[in-house]
Amino acid sequence: MSTTENTTKRVAYYKGCLASLSAKELDSSTQALAPMVGLELVELESVTCCGAGDIHEAEPDYYLHLNARILAYAEATGCDTLMTVCNVCTLNLRQANFMLQGDADLLARVNENLVTVGVPAYSGNVEVRHFLWEIAEGEGYERLKEVAHRGLKGLKVAPFYGCQILRPSKIMGFEDPDRPWSLERIIEACGGEAIDYPAKIKCCGFPIIAAREETALGEVIQPVEQAIEAGADVMVTPCPLCHLSLDAWQQKLEASTGRAFKMPVLHLAQLVGVAAGLEESELKFKRHIVDPRPALERLEV
Amino acid sequence: MKVGLKIWRYDTSTGERALREYEIEAPEEATLLDCLDIVKDRHDGSLAYRKSCRMMICGSCGMRMDGAAVLACKTRMYDIAQEGRVPVISAMGNLPIVKDLVVDMDPFWAKFKAMWPWLEPGYERPEDGREYRISQERMNVVHKEALCINCGCCVSECNAMESDPDFLGPQALAKGMRFVGDPRDSATVERLERYSQEHGIWDCTRCYFCNERCPKGVDPRDAIAKLGAESIRLGIDRDMGAKHAKWFVRSAETTGWLREEELIPKTQGYVSAIKQLKFGASLARHGKVRPIPIPHTAKDVGEARNLRKVVREQDRQGALGHVQGERALARLEHGHTGGSLEEIYARPGAAPRPWLPEVEEDQQA
Repeated sequence: MSTTENTTKRVAYYKGCLASLSAKELDSSTQALAPMVGLELVELESVTCCGAGDIHEAEPDYYLHLNARILAYAEATGCDTLMTVCNVCTLNLRQANFMLQGDADLLARVNENLVTVGVPAYSGNVEVRHFLWEIAEGEGYERLKEVAHRGLKGLKVAPFYGCQILRPSKIMGFEDPDRPWSLERIIEACGGEAIDYPAKIKCCGFPIIAAREETALGEVIQPVEQAIEAGADVMVTPCPLCHLSLDAWQQKLEASTGRAFKMPVLHLAQLVGVAAGLEESELKFKRHIVDPRPALERLEV
Repeated sequence: MKVGLKIWRYDTSTGERALREYEIEAPEEATLLDCLDIVKDRHDGSLAYRKSCRMMICGSCGMRMDGAAVLACKTRMYDIAQEGRVPVISAMGNLPIVKDLVVDMDPFWAKFKAMWPWLEPGYERPEDGREYRISQERMNVVHKEALCINCGCCVSECNAMESDPDFLGPQALAKGMRFVGDPRDSATVERLERYSQEHGIWDCTRCYFCNERCPKGVDPRDAIAKLGAESIRLGIDRDMGAKHAKWFVRSAETTGWLREEELIPKTQGYVSAIKQLKFGASLARHGKVRPIPIPHTAKDVGEARNLRKVVREQDRQGALGHVQGERALARLEHGHTGGSLEEIYARPGAAPRPWLPEVEEDQQA
C-alpha cells in the first residue's frame, strides 16, 4: 500500500478562464485527481483572467498588474506554489513573476498600485508551476505511479505539448523545448504507449483562430494528421486552448478536407484520471466535441 | 576529436535529395562551421553552404541542426562529439533551397524591404548645431531589435509563416519595431498602418519559436508585441487581431474573466459572425458555449477595473510597458534568478565586477 499517504502539498490553484467555462471538464477532473496525487488545491477566488497573449500585447502595463494581482492573492494563501492548468496562464504568470522578482524598482511601483486599489502587496515569494510539472517528477510522480499504474493498458497516446509550456525556455525552464519528456513519462507511467510525431511541439493555431482562421487551421491540421498517421488512439494536451483548437476546430478541418479525422483529445488530468479510475461525472467526456469514450471502451474490459 | 555529421544534400537541377554521412577529425574547439569547412576541404568539395565572418555578426551561416535553426559559427561541437551523437544538418525552413544548405533569401529580403527599413527623419535639430542625442531610456526601446543580423533563424521556424507564406514574419517585423521605436523617425503611424495589414502584426501565432531560436537575443515575438501595443496606443485597431486583443481588455475590466462567448462576434463583427452560427451550435450542444451568455463575474472585479485606470495614468502605454520588464528578463537569461549584483559578484568563482561610472559615483556620495 501507499507509503506516502501523509505528504500532501498545498498549492494555490489558478484555473483561468477556460477551465471556468468552456473547459469545465478540465477543472472537475483536476479537482478530482489532485488529492490522489498528493496535491491540496486552495482555489483562488478574487482573481481575473491573466490576459492571455492579448492583454500582454495590447496593454502590457495592465497585463503586468493583472498578473501581479493574481500572484499577490496566491501569496496571501500562504502557499509557495501557484499551480496552473493552462499553458498561456503559465507563461503569463511566470513571465510577470520574473519581471517583478528581478527588478526591485518595478516591484515597488506595481505594489504601490496594487495597494492603491485594495490588493495586498506582493513580495515575490511564489513559484508558478503547471500541473504537468507537479506530476511529472518528484513526489507527484511517485504518487501518480501508485494511483494510475497500468490503467491505460497499452492505449496509444499522442502527446501534444503546445507552445507556451516549452518556449521561451528561459522562462519555462522545465525541460528541453526540442526534446520534451514529461508527457511521455506520464503516459508510460499510466500504462499507455507514447506515440512520437514531429508536430507535438508545434503551435495549435489557437491565438489567431478567431482573427486568422485559415492560417490557424493550417497549423492545427499538422498534429491531428500526424497523430493519426502514427497510429494514436487519442491525443493528450496540458493546455485547454490547444484542447479547444484540436477538439472543436477538428470539424472545420473535416469540412475543408472532406476527411473524417475523429481524433479524441484528452486534457492531461482526464488521461491520468482515466488510468486512476475517475468517473464520467468528474471526467465529463460528454462535453467534448469528438467523444473519446469509444476509443477508451476497451480499457473497461 | 572525431565528429560525425549527417548532411541533407540537395541538387535542384536534378531534384536529387540524399542524406550523406561524414566522419571527420576536428580540433576540440571546432564549431559546426569549422566542421563543414573540413568536410568541404578534405572530403567532399561539392558541399554547398554560406559563410563569411565566422564570428556571429554577418548572419550568413544559418542552417538547421537536428531540426532546429542555428548559426553554424556559434555552435560548438565538443559536447555533441563527446556524447557520440551524429546530428542531422539541413537547410533552413520556410525558404526555398538552392543547393544543399543554401537557401534562396529573396523572399526574406522582399519582406525586409516591405518594412521601409530606413529612417524617415522627422526630428528637430538642436539649435546649437550639435548632434541630436537620444536618451538611454529611448534607446532601450529598440536596443534588442537593433541586434538583428538578418540570419533568418527565426523565419526558418515560424509556425505562422509555414501556414501563411506571405506573413511578413519575425525578422521583418522586429526590423519594423526598430524604426517604430526610434524617436527620430517621423513615419510611425504610416508604418503601423502598413504593418497591421493582412499578413502583418496580427498574423503572429505566438509560438515563440523565434525567441527560442534567435542567436542574438532579439526576441522577435516581443518586438511584435511592442508593435501591437504601439498600434493600440495610437488607435490603429481596425484589424480583427486588434479587436480580439481589445476584447480581452474589455472583459478583464468588466467581468474579470474572458467573455468567451462574445469573442468571435467582437473580433469578426456581428454580421460576419453569423457564418459561425452552425459551428457555435455544435459547441452549444456540448456545453462549451451557453445560448444566453450571462456574465460570469470575478469576485472583487472592481479592483481589476481600478487597476486599469491607475496604470493608464502612469504613462507606460504602448511599447514602454514591454520594455520595463526586459531588464529583469535579461537577468534571467544570464542565470541571475535573484540576489543583488553585490551578492552575485561575491559568489565563489564569479567574474570580476566591471567598472561602472554610476556605481563609482554612488560610492562617492
